[in-house]
Parts: sequence; structure tokens; C-alpha cells
Amino acid sequence: MMSNLTGAERTKAMIITGFGAMVGLLMAIVGHDDPMGAHGWITLLFFGVLFFVVGNAFYDPEPTEDRAALYYDDPTKVGIILALLWAVVGMSMGVWVASQLAWPDLRFDAAWSSFGRLRPVHTSGVIFGFGGNALIATSYHIMQRTSRARMPDQISPWFVLLGFNLFCILAASGYIMGITQSKEYAEPEWYADLWLVVVWVVYFILYMRTLARRNEPHIYVANWYYLSFILVVAILHIVNNLALPASLTGAKSYSLFSGVQDAMTQWWYGHNAVAFFLTTGFLGMLYYFLPKRAERPIYSYRLSILSFWGIVFFYIWVGSHHLHYTALPYWVQTLGMTFSIMLLVPSWASAGNALMTLNGAWHKVRDDATLRFMMVAAVFYGLSTFEGSFMAIRPVNGLSHYTDWTIGHVHSGAMGWVAMITFGSIYALVPVLWRRETMYSWKAVEWHFWLALTGTVIYVFAMWNSGIIQGLMWRTYNEAGTLRYSFVDSLVAMHPYYIARAFGGLLFLTGACICLWNVVMTIRRVPLLAPALDYPTSSEAMEPAVPAAE
Amino acid sequence: MTILIILIPVTLSMGAFGLAAFFWSLRNGQYEDLSGDAERILHDDDVPLKSLNSTSRMIVTKETKR
Amino acid sequence: MVFGHSAAEERSGTAAGSPLNLAQSRAAVRVDDNGRGRCILSVPGIKCGACVAKVERALNARDDVVYARANLTLHQATIVLEGPDTDPMPMIQTLAALGYAATPVQSGADTAPDPTGKGLLRALAVAGFGAMNIMLLSVGVWSGADGQTRETFHLVSALIAVPVVLYAGQPFFRSAVSALRRRQLNMDVPIALAVALALVLSLFETVQGGDHVFFDAAVTLLFFLLTGRYFDHLMRERARSAVSGLAKLSPRGAMLRDEDGSLTYALLESITPGMTLSIAPGERVPLDLEILSGNSDLDRSLVTGESMAVAIGPGDMIEAGALNLTGVIDGRVLRSSDDSFLAQMIRMQSNAEAGRANYVRIADRAARLYAPVVHLLALITFIGWMLVTGGDWQTSLFIAISVLIITCPCALGLAVPVAHVVAAGRLMRMGVLMKDGAALERMAEIDHVVFDKTGTLTTGTPRLGNIPDDPVMRSGAKALAVRSGHPAARAIASGLHDNPSDVTCHTEVPGFGVEGLIEGRRARLGRAEWVAEIADVAAGAGSPAFGFEHCPSVSFDLAETLRDGAIEAVTDMKNAGFSVALLSGDMEDRAKAVATALGIDDIHYGATPADKIDILRTGLRGGHRPLMVGDGLNDAAALAAAHVSMAPSTASDAGRTAADFVFLRDTLDAVPDTWKVARDTARIVRQNFALAIAYNCIAIPLAVAGLVTPLIAALAMSGSSIIVIGNALRLNKAGARTREKPASHVKRKETPA
Repeated sequence: MMSNLTGAERTKAMIITGFGAMVGLLMAIVGHDDPMGAHGWITLLFFGVLFFVVGNAFYDPEPTEDRAALYYDDPTKVGIILALLWAVVGMSMGVWVASQLAWPDLRFDAAWSSFGRLRPVHTSGVIFGFGGNALIATSYHIMQRTSRARMPDQISPWFVLLGFNLFCILAASGYIMGITQSKEYAEPEWYADLWLVVVWVVYFILYMRTLARRNEPHIYVANWYYLSFILVVAILHIVNNLALPASLTGAKSYSLFSGVQDAMTQWWYGHNAVAFFLTTGFLGMLYYFLPKRAERPIYSYRLSILSFWGIVFFYIWVGSHHLHYTALPYWVQTLGMTFSIMLLVPSWASAGNALMTLNGAWHKVRDDATLRFMMVAAVFYGLSTFEGSFMAIRPVNGLSHYTDWTIGHVHSGAMGWVAMITFGSIYALVPVLWRRETMYSWKAVEWHFWLALTGTVIYVFAMWNSGIIQGLMWRTYNEAGTLRYSFVDSLVAMHPYYIARAFGGLLFLTGACICLWNVVMTIRRVPLLAPALDYPTSSEAMEPAVPAAE
Repeated sequence: MTILIILIPVTLSMGAFGLAAFFWSLRNGQYEDLSGDAERILHDDDVPLKSLNSTSRMIVTKETKR
Repeated sequence: MVFGHSAAEERSGTAAGSPLNLAQSRAAVRVDDNGRGRCILSVPGIKCGACVAKVERALNARDDVVYARANLTLHQATIVLEGPDTDPMPMIQTLAALGYAATPVQSGADTAPDPTGKGLLRALAVAGFGAMNIMLLSVGVWSGADGQTRETFHLVSALIAVPVVLYAGQPFFRSAVSALRRRQLNMDVPIALAVALALVLSLFETVQGGDHVFFDAAVTLLFFLLTGRYFDHLMRERARSAVSGLAKLSPRGAMLRDEDGSLTYALLESITPGMTLSIAPGERVPLDLEILSGNSDLDRSLVTGESMAVAIGPGDMIEAGALNLTGVIDGRVLRSSDDSFLAQMIRMQSNAEAGRANYVRIADRAARLYAPVVHLLALITFIGWMLVTGGDWQTSLFIAISVLIITCPCALGLAVPVAHVVAAGRLMRMGVLMKDGAALERMAEIDHVVFDKTGTLTTGTPRLGNIPDDPVMRSGAKALAVRSGHPAARAIASGLHDNPSDVTCHTEVPGFGVEGLIEGRRARLGRAEWVAEIADVAAGAGSPAFGFEHCPSVSFDLAETLRDGAIEAVTDMKNAGFSVALLSGDMEDRAKAVATALGIDDIHYGATPADKIDILRTGLRGGHRPLMVGDGLNDAAALAAAHVSMAPSTASDAGRTAADFVFLRDTLDAVPDTWKVARDTARIVRQNFALAIAYNCIAIPLAVAGLVTPLIAALAMSGSSIIVIGNALRLNKAGARTREKPASHVKRKETPA
């Protein structure tokens, strides 16, 4: 990988990593009697390792061929591997915390392994670690391909990818140490948040610079989706994390907002994170890899543009449906509910567009598990957006809120939509990226598909059942007008479902492990694809970018 | 709901930004050949095109703006 | 005049190689700001993404191309050339080698972008942005935000709504003002009034700290109506570009014969009477000429409706628009391009069109009734409430204005365009292009159908009527016929199935026929008088004739070929209760033959363009509403004069421009099919009006009673608009019944050139 960097770029990389290591050391020193100190050491280690990796190859021969004639795929490759590693870590955590709910002894009586600390490791691990890395990696691929141009430089893509992973490491390790600002999906403390802002701004600039040098006049619709993901996530992240550190030498900070204002900001952020992190980015993935894999253009390109603007506009005010029956003014709740229902229109337009693209290619869906991943993802996207709009209706929410139904809903979106489309995209991308003929084992892809689908269905059905039972038990009164069931009664009723959920999650995790193995074997064992072109080209251009990389 | 003092302007400015982006894309001729653009990604060679400076790219889209 | 090579070869060569085409291709290159040449090629073969990639790859691989880009929607390729003088011909040949026929597009109407559409889209985006944000605030207010929050929301809404309405409402305000200036009422008058009043009233209420503001209604209304208007525009724009895509390069220049005999290219505008032009076979005559030298055959079917080619020679006058078939001719220019036959026809056509401008569209007819009623109602409401409340003018005015807002004809404004857009989509799938929505309304009103003959009921290519008994004569005639490109010769060649005899020393004499040696005997195929020079031709025998030297000759009968579906179309229209007439510029016997075959009794033959208009005008004055179906230049004015008109895609440029509908398929089924769609559409439009009126019947009493709140207004308006749109979409479904064929069956036919 280093062979693709010039001497000047290696110097630059060493300066950046060296500076990062210094900052880590500084944090370690000033925060020595606070968990922030531990984060200082982690930062120092992270940058130190990178510093030595670069330094070690500093005097290696420099690239000789014309780099502009090729796409820059090294960061994409690393990003895909990182995403899969995070998937295994995050999903393992998920299976563990799910099992803790069924068998509480699995906590092993340690503070760091309590449910409250492990759960954010699971959520951040899968959302940011797996999803985020997959988004960054695929965006690198798609922005270059659709622009027909190489990325503008070789340092900033690494900065974004590795910087983002440092953020994920700081987040996950922080949770275990008890560092959290207690905002769902925004738990990391102020210094990690600031670091993410820097990374994200560089990401946005990198994307814009690539688009600016595009050789294809048209900007493909997937780029709009990715751009909205980058831009809006930046704004959401900044507004929701406006906080005042208690001290610059410690991790603890206080939110700028308080009470219901804070709750409103949090859910304005929280649901827009669902919109712009877990929806638009992955729709960008869908709009590129689905047509590519099915070898058919998107059914209605016009509709894909139209539903983009619909989703972007409608999602903004949806968040308050998380705060039904709270101190939030009634009209703000109704507002969120109204827009949640209207949101169904652009959401279903997108899901329908994806399925209509496959209409006429069902034989490919039947034969190709990769395409089937994408098809199932579109179906789950349609289902979970409908469920979401339905659950946002106030009386329905009265039954579903605080129950496992919500967990089921989230996972039908996260497993059925986000993870399925990501796995589908990875299977479509890996052979192209490493220029292999095919995946190492198509049977393994089949196994993964069926494990993932079965796991998701078991999980979601278990949670629907348990959620509705829970909700009904909580609201059942006896003749005397008091609650019929105690809380423990409802817990006992949940137990079989919790076991089923852990089992479903385990199946899903197994699939992800198979995927990682399959990708690694593809890189190591599958022969290179011989370029077969029906027109003249300079032969190096079709060779892999870095022959010696593996 | 004093928080609305922040959230409303933020939302409005995001909307206005989106509107500006749409205007730009319209003027730039992004919607001239939607059926062709949907097909284009299916037929690329997986290598960058020979580098064009932005002026020559503009030549092509130029006539479409007025 | 004798040519060494066969006419067929010459004809095929004319597509790209003639000096005129070369010169025209070069003239199509424009120089851009950077000093580079750019040209736009029309490439009808670009039909899929793979074609786009293939064309772009091939062109971009060339060193003299800076950048090339193909457009799948327009079937065009835009090429930026290295220098201003780069020859575009190699690009055309590169594409031809890949199997794509390409012709340069003259910049002008075909390549111009569509500023109106972009303006509408921009207004639509602004209205959409405003509607979304104001709706957001309004939902807040409706859900119970009150006190200061509500006032703030009203204020923010006002700040958004005022610029949005001022910008996005322009199309309606402009149209309303211009209608009022003409002292007329159209649909935009009540719309503009309602939007403006809603805005003013809401501003007033906002300042006063009132309960109800209608910003959301005003902006949502604009959004819905702009959507309808944009789709309407899109439909017309698509038809326009499809029709102009059919236009084969009509001559914009001609080859001038200089004193020394050399040829130079000149634009038509710069050619003055008295100059000498040279016209190669396969080219259209660009100006009215008197032939100085050369013989040829001329296809005048698009000019006069004559179905058979005519022979011409020195001294003959020929009109612009005719197609030169066989020989090279030089001619003196009689009139400049402004005075040519073509220009006269176009003037006649625009005069004829003036009558149609008086047609008032159904929506505007409705508005003329609707607007006064509604405005009167508002006035009565105001007076009534003044009386009831004892002079509380504020309340009374509020209620009166809310009557105007709720009766704003949003659904009425959408009722027609949406139905027309859906119908246009259905027609396009059937291979029929519709110019605008008014044509569909007029089509539904017809009571009389007039067909042109040549090129409309018939295909223009003749067919052999009789076959000689003698096999020797058949083989001989076929042998000579295959060596000519003349339409009559081609009909003979394809009508005779014998093996042609061997021919030596054949020559084609343009204007007369083909001569050759068959087994050592001289033989001629061609005009009877000319054949009579060597053979025995019976007195009064018709042309073409074939005979060996000193032997009796045979004459061939040429009959016209009926267009596919002609019989069914005429029968269908008759069964639907329409009277059918034939209106031809051709000779009596040919017109009668076709009319008899089709069962048409009402025949007019030998009609000049002016006669055609007169006949149609007489019908129109008698209260008839004729549909004219025709294709020729001579029909153009008649097409414009008729109540509504259709032309095949093979029609002359002028004919296609004049017609309201252009059908792309060969079959004439398009005529009854289009009428059926028009009839269905009219029915849907009537239903939509009924729905809109029903909505008003419910809404008006509520409004008059002062019960309408902004929430009710918004729900009622969106609801009625969506119902109307949904009803219009039923048109699509109804289409499954008729003879719809997928678009891939639609052939793009070029005019013969």
C-alpha cells in the first residue's frame, strides 16, 4: 500500500501521525487521573503504530506509473475489511447483551461488562463501525466510478478512514470505561466529538473535490444521497453535541441544553441519524450497486431524484415522535407524527423503485444470492418504513413505546435493510475491487444469505411478540383498578423471546463471520481477473493498482 | 420551546441550501438526459477517463445553459 | 445525357457522399468561445446505454475529438472538435462504421434548451420548498401551538410565503393580467385572485395577531397548479422534440454552379434569382427553378399530391420541395427563398392557422362561467355578513375572502392538464405524438373526416397492376427495371418474379427510361413515346412500356398501394358516425380508384392547396368540425385550416408542423385510435369537472357560513386535487383495451431523401 505513495506524501503522513501521537501524549499527561488519560494512551498508540508503518516504508521505491490513470482503491479495500471486522465485533457484542437479558449471569459481575456499558458498544459498533466504514469505503468507490476520476489526493482518504476508526475505538473503549454523555447514538464525550468534526469536514471536502474534478458531466444520483449523508450528519452532530466540558483535563461535559429542550435536540438528532446515516447513505449504496449487479438501469431515475428531495425534506422534523406523551408540547408531538406519516410516500417510492428495477430480472435474483441480499434489503426497507410511520401514530406509540416492539422495529431496519444492503454491496464490490473473477465461495454467500434472513426473521418476530405482550401486560388493570401484572411478571413472559432473539442474533453473527472469511479467502485464493475488453486500451490500466499489495 | 429558535433556522437554512443545490443542478444541465445517465454507470470501463480540465467539461454542458 | 453507373448506386451514394451533404455537414460545425469547433449529430440509432458507451468510446478515441457525449433522450451526440476547421465527416463515418447513421443537426430550434420548462421547474422547486416549510409551521399551529409560538410561526410563514408567492406565482399572475387586458376571463384569473387575496388577508391577520392565516393554502395551491402546468409543458416539449427529431435535414443551402462550372456551397438566404443551382439525384429542390440543362424524374408527391413521378427536362419549371430522382439537373433560380412555393405554402398555412386561434379551451370556457359566479357569491357573502353582524367589515371581509380561497379552482385548473398529460403518454405509447392539449379537445369534437390520398391513404410507392403473359417480355422488363431507381421501375422489378435476362450496355436516360441490349436486341423500358421510337407501341398505350426493337411492346399498369389499416380506419370512422371524404390533388382516375377501394363516396380531386382550404372552410362555416389527415406540402394549409389534423411521420416538414397529431407507425389505425383516446379523455375531463363542482357544492356553504378554517381549506384543496389526479390516471388503465403496442414497435421513419 505504501508503494502507492510518493515521498512527499509519506512525509506528510508522518507529520500528521506524529502530530496525532503528540496530541495523544498530551491527553495522556493532562488527563492522567481521569479515564481521558487512557484515551490519550490509545490515541498515542494508534498514531504511533501508523507512524511506524509509514516510517518503515519511507525509503521504499516510489510509484512509477501514472497514478491518474487508475482509481485509488487502497483506502476502499482497507475500509471494507475494517467494516467487516467491526461487524463481527459489534454483532458479537449484540449477541452477548442479548444473552445477558436472557441469562443475567453472563455479566460475570464486572462493572465494564454491565448491560448499560456493553449495549452502546454494540450499537456504535454496528452503526458507526460497520455501517460507517462501509459507507466511507463504498462512497470512495462510487464517487470515483461515477465521476470517472481519481480522488484528488492520497492522504485525505486515509485521514478520513483511519480518523473515523479512531473515533469508533475511542467511543467503544470509552463506554467500557464508563465514559458517556448519555445521549443515544451520540454517547462519546467532547474530545471524541471534536475529532469527528475534523474528520467529517475533511470527508466533505474530499467528496466535493472529487466531484469537482469529475470527467463525467452528470453527477449520478447516488452521489446526492452520499453528500446529504455527509453534510447533514455534520450539522446534526455539531448541534446535538454542543456541550461544555467540565474541565479540559477530564472527559465529563454538560449539554448546552437542558430538560425537554435537550430531549428534543437529542431526538431531532436521533431520528435524523436514522434518516441521514442509516437511510440516505445506504440508499446511495443501493442506487449504485443494485443496478450494477442486476445490469439494469434503475427503474425510474427521475423518481430516485424526486424521492431524494422528498426524504431530505420530510425527515427533518420527524424526531419528536420519539417523545409522545412526554413533557414536550403536544403540538410538537403531533407535528412529528404528521410528518412521520407523510414520510411513507418518498420511502415507499424508493423501495418500489428498487424492486421495479429487479422486475424482469427475477431469474437473476433467484440465482444470485448477492442480488437477493439487495432485494431483501429493499423489501425490509419498505416494511420497516411502514412500521415506523405506523408506530409514530400517537395511540400506537402508547402501546409500543418503551417495549421490545421498538427494538424489533429498529432491528428490522438495521439487520434487514442496512446490513443486508451492505453485505450485498460488499459481495458485489469485492471481486471488482480486488479484480478477482468471483467470490471465493458462492455457497458461502448462499449460507450467509439464508443465515442472515433466518436470523432477522427470528429476531424481528420474537421482538414483535414480546413487545406487544409487554405493552399489553403493562396496561392491563384488574377489577380493583390496579395493575394486573407486576413488572417481574412481564419479564418472565419475555424470557422465551429473549432466548429466541439471542439465537436469531447468533445466526446473523455467524453469517457475518462467514462473510469475513469469504472475503479474506477471495483476496488470498481467487485468481486475478484477466481483462477482457472489446476495445483497445493501454494494458497497465486494467492491471490491479498495487500488484504487490497482497 | 426556546430550542425552536435554533432548530427552525437550522432547518430552514438546510432547506434553502437544498434549494440552491437544486437550482445549481438545473442550471448545470444535470437533468438533460436522465435515461442516458441511469444507463451510464452500467457501461464504464473501471478506469478514469482521460483527464479533462473543468473548462472542457463545461464546453459540453455549456449550450444547455442559457 | 448518359450515365455510366447505375442510378441505384448513385442513390445510395447520396446519403453521405454528395457534395451538398458534405458542405452541409461542415456548415453545421459551430465555433465555441474557446476557438474549438462543436457539432451536434442526430444519431437515431442511440437507443440504449450500450449504444451510448459505444458511440462515446469510438468518438473519444479519435485524436481530433476533444470530447464527445451522447444523449440517449434526444438520440444525439455532441462533439467538441480539436479546432474550428476540423472536418466532421470522419466522425460521421466513424459512427457509420459502427452501424449508426448520423446527420448533423443545424443548431437552432432543435438544440435550443427549454427555458420555459426550466423556469417552471424552478418555480415548482421554490413553491415546493415554501409549501413544505410553511406546512411544517402550519401543522404546528393546527396541532395546538398558540400564543407567542403561533404568532412567531405566522410571522415566519409570512416571511417565507411572500417571496415564494411573488416568485412562483408569476406564471399565473402574468396569464391573468394578459387575459384581463384582453377583457377576457381565463382559469388563471380566479386562481391569481385567490392566491393574492389569501396572501394579503394572511399578512393582515399576521400583523393583527389573528387566529387564521392561509399562507399554506396559497403556497400549496401554487405548488399543485405548477405541477400540473409543468407536466403539461413537459408533454408538449417532448412531442416537439420528437417531431423535430423526425425532420430530415431540410435543405438550408444549395450548390451554386459558378461561371467556370465549379460548384460552391451557399446558404439559401444568400441565393438570389438568376443564379444557377446544381441538384444531384436524391436531393430535394431547394428553390423554385427553371431547368437549364439535364433530364430527370421528379417525385412531387409531397408537393402536389401526384402519386407518380413526372419526367422533367430543360425549360420545365419545378417547385421547391420536390425530390429529384434520377439525373443531375442545373436550373436557374426563379424566386428567392422568401417567395418560393414553399414559402407561399407556409404563409398560407399561417393564415389558415389564425382561424384556429379563436378556439377557446374548455378550461377557459369553464372559467368564463365560473369566475363571475364565484366572485358574485363572495360579494353576496360579504354583504350578507355585513347585515348579519351589523357592519363588522373585518369579519365579513375575512369570510368573503375565505369563500374565494376555498373556491379557488385548483381542481378545475388540474382537471384538464392532468387528463391531457396522461392521454399524451398513452398516445405516445401508441406511436402518436400530440402537439398540445387543445388538439385533444378538438379531436373529441369532430363530426367529419377528410383524407388526403397520396402518402396518407396510400403509401406513395406504386405497385404493379398487370403482369404480361410472355415470359420473355417479363424477364426483359425485369432486367431493365432492376437497373433503375425510378419508382415505376422499382415497382416493376418487385412485381415480376421471373429471372432477369442478361443485359449489356444498359444506359438510363433520365426523364425517359432505361435502354439496354438483351441477347443482342435493343430494348427500352420507359415512357411510351420514347419506347415507340424503336418498338411498336399501340396508339394510346400508357406508360411505362417495354419493348424490343421492332417488336410489339407491352404497357404496365401501375396501381397505388393502400396504406396498412386504411380500410379499417375508414370503416371505423364511418361506423363511429362520421362522414368521410377524400381530398386529393391527384388526377381524377387515381383518386376515384382509391376512393372506390375504400368505399368513400365524397371525392374531390385535382384540388390545389387553395381549393383544399376552401373545401374545409365551407365545411367549417356550415358548422362542421372536420378532421383533416394529410401529409403533403400542399396539405399543410388545409391541415392548419381544419378543426383538427393528423399527419404521418413521413409527411413533409410543413405538413408535420401544421398537424396537431403526428403518427409514427405505418398503419392508419392511428386515426380511429387517436379519436378514441380523445373521446375517453373528454369523458374524464367532464368527470373531473363534475368532481370539482361537487367539491365546491360542499365547500361553498361551509365557507359562506364562515366555518372554514385554514386546516379545512388545506385538506379540502389537497383532497380534491388528488381525487382529480387519481381520476385522470384511470385513462392509462383504459388504454389496455385498444390496440396499444409497445414503443419498440414504433419505427422512426425518415422522409424519403
